[in-house]
Amino acid sequence: MILYKGHIYPDSKQDELITSLESDIVDTLSKPQRLTTEAVIAASEKMYQKAANGYYDSIAVPLLNQFGVSYERYQAMAKAFSAEVLRYKCEIELGSNWDNLPPLSSGTVRKIAPLGVLFHVAAGNVDGLPAYSVAEGLLSGNINILKLPSGDSGLSVKLLSDLIAEEPSLADYIYVFDVPSTEFETLKRLAKLADGVVVWGGDMAQRAARDMCDVTTKIIPWGHKLSFAYATQKATDEQLGELARHICATEQVLCSSCQGIFYDTDSKEELQGFARRFFEIFKQENKRFGKADMAMRGRNSVQLYNDRLENKYPLILSEDGVSVVVKEDSELELSYTFRNVWVKALPRNEIVKALKKQKGYLQTCGLLSDITERQELAERLICAGVVRVTNGDLSRTFFGEAHDGTYPLREYTRLVEID
Amino acid sequence: MSSVDRLFAARKPYKIEKNEQLFVKAMRDNCRFHYKHCTEYREILDKAGFSPDDIKTAKDLERLPFLPTLYLKRHRILSMSTRRMPIKVTSSGTGGVKSFVGFNWRSMWNAFKMVVNVAKYHKLWSARLTRYVIFGYRPKKSNSLGASKSAWGFTFFAPAASRVYALDWKNGKYQLDLDNIKNKLVKYSKGHMPVRTMGFPAYTYFLLRQMKEEGLSVKLPKGSLICLGGGWKQFYAEQVSKQDFYKLAYEVLGVDDKHVIEFFGAVEHPILYTDCREHHFHVPVYSRVIIRDVDTFEPVPNGQPGLVNLLTPIFDSAPMLSILTDDIGVLHDTPCACGEKSPYLEILGRVGVKDVVTCAQGAEEMLKDLIK
Repeated sequence: MILYKGHIYPDSKQDELITSLESDIVDTLSKPQRLTTEAVIAASEKMYQKAANGYYDSIAVPLLNQFGVSYERYQAMAKAFSAEVLRYKCEIELGSNWDNLPPLSSGTVRKIAPLGVLFHVAAGNVDGLPAYSVAEGLLSGNINILKLPSGDSGLSVKLLSDLIAEEPSLADYIYVFDVPSTEFETLKRLAKLADGVVVWGGDMAQRAARDMCDVTTKIIPWGHKLSFAYATQKATDEQLGELARHICATEQVLCSSCQGIFYDTDSKEELQGFARRFFEIFKQENKRFGKADMAMRGRNSVQLYNDRLENKYPLILSEDGVSVVVKEDSELELSYTFRNVWVKALPRNEIVKALKKQKGYLQTCGLLSDITERQELAERLICAGVVRVTNGDLSRTFFGEAHDGTYPLREYTRLVEID
Repeated sequence: MSSVDRLFAARKPYKIEKNEQLFVKAMRDNCRFHYKHCTEYREILDKAGFSPDDIKTAKDLERLPFLPTLYLKRHRILSMSTRRMPIKVTSSGTGGVKSFVGFNWRSMWNAFKMVVNVAKYHKLWSARLTRYVIFGYRPKKSNSLGASKSAWGFTFFAPAASRVYALDWKNGKYQLDLDNIKNKLVKYSKGHMPVRTMGFPAYTYFLLRQMKEEGLSVKLPKGSLICLGGGWKQFYAEQVSKQDFYKLAYEVLGVDDKHVIEFFGAVEHPILYTDCREHHFHVPVYSRVIIRDVDTFEPVPNGQPGLVNLLTPIFDSAPMLSILTDDIGVLHDTPCACGEKSPYLEILGRVGVKDVVTCAQGAEEMLKDLIK
């Protein structure tokens, strides 16, 4: 399915439409009237109102059930499209005078301008995220070309069509193609039209994007990240409980999900003691949540059985589908996910050394410590490359927070100066 | 004749009660053999405090330590030199890692006897010249995939007038040519020779669906069979109900469901499971199935889902007498209208497959799997 200037076309029209895309983009950019952020915000607010009134429930509810997301959380997520939140986002990300920057002392006028054309290569892990990526591009005034992820549910096209229906002038700023990732030459053509390429997805997607872009094209990588917890001997049972709940709730599949716990010690006995302590708390919280999906528990059980046969780790604790595995190294790595954590020793003075190896992947650290240690440990984590230090709920979201250490709107715009 | 040889000579493939003592003895003998000849296996049994002589009844087999297929993929543990294995195959490597399995002459001979008897029971033997359509790879010397070897073997149940392959070796690589297959099916439908198709259910289904969308509908000659093997693998998301499949096969190729036969087997457990006329996979005498709780590995009562543990004494080459698969399945003991009393196995899916694409792991993994 293709969305082009507000109309839906079949995929068979792909070549023809991509050929006309360049001149259509130039036409739009040559027009004197520009897309205003207020127009985007107004259209988005109408969509938000519809969502709040249950207009999208028939599409959203099955997806929510599939992914185990509560209706309240969906409503909170929809709020990200409200005028109030979008204005706040612009202010936080671009500064309070972003639409009226004071001139330099030389009298030179300063303005925040869009990059021009953004090409979004979307990933399929969260339904509707491709549409959100485009919304951010619109908010910063860009023309947006979106490549849908394989297996897209059609939700993104629906949302973007609705947005155009609310504000018809957006039609010239939204182009959606369903090009498979294997059609490299087509993707290259689209990338060539763009001033910035926004890439969602893991290392393979990021590598492919680098190959398809000219050296002068800006790439904005929203890659896969790893998150973890760091606990000291002063961590309380309440803190560990919050972490265990976070692990059960996110099933460790988000970039911000805790994969494992580093413990501030160099003693093997203390590490095992901590693992046993956390395991007890983990089991309790798991009971409250109800067991994880059977197919995932099965996979982990087989993995752990295999690890035991191979004598791979000094201690493996498992029950009811949750497990804690004590490992002897201090590398940040993916866990088996779905309620399986590793526990590794990492004395605080070795934090930077150990984490620096994974510098491109670091995102959130859930810091479980005493208030007196917090500042020092947070500094060390930040020096290693962590961008967010939280408590036990690593995936908590706040409006206005940065994305992987930066503000998207800043990435999608440029500063221009006029004498 | 050894207990194992006698077991595989059993002519009635589903009389498992009658052969229970023999199966237990064959397992014990096979276990003793591997305990003696494979150091790694001996260590695993010793560590678990299990001796081959502990196998006295079928119940004791529940305590026999099993090896996960994952372990077999990572460790090539053998009980004899590979020089004594004339046939070596690898699994199709779901998830990227392949396991290696070798057959010595004796195991091959036993497998052959089993195939002869199972095929006889299911009336697969025929003297009529038959056209074979394989939805898989044309066999090649360098292709050691078990799936391609067994598809080739399948073309000997009835004398072959011709064989066409969906994946043919052209210009130095395998190329998929579904149009050729479609044209051949249309052509064959006008002749008199029966046609037998063989391939993954998913490929067969995609082809049938494509033919239906193109408005193609033929009637294959009397005696034609649609045979399915290899399971649904990466296509769980596309999985259609078996009833839909049979309906489509009838609409497009004119073959009724009594002539759609499905096989199930694994490289690590090369026992020929064949569905009965009610489309149930009854456990044959050469094999046993234990369904285990996904958390505790304790056997679960029949009718409840769990991890599929498969047992057979067929191998001399490696200690694969009890393997834990990556499949989730159920063993049913409700009476089957086909009349066989042996319980039947239903595979529900694979572990680790959930309708969620994870962010931390990367969607590419899944994509790679789908393309393979």
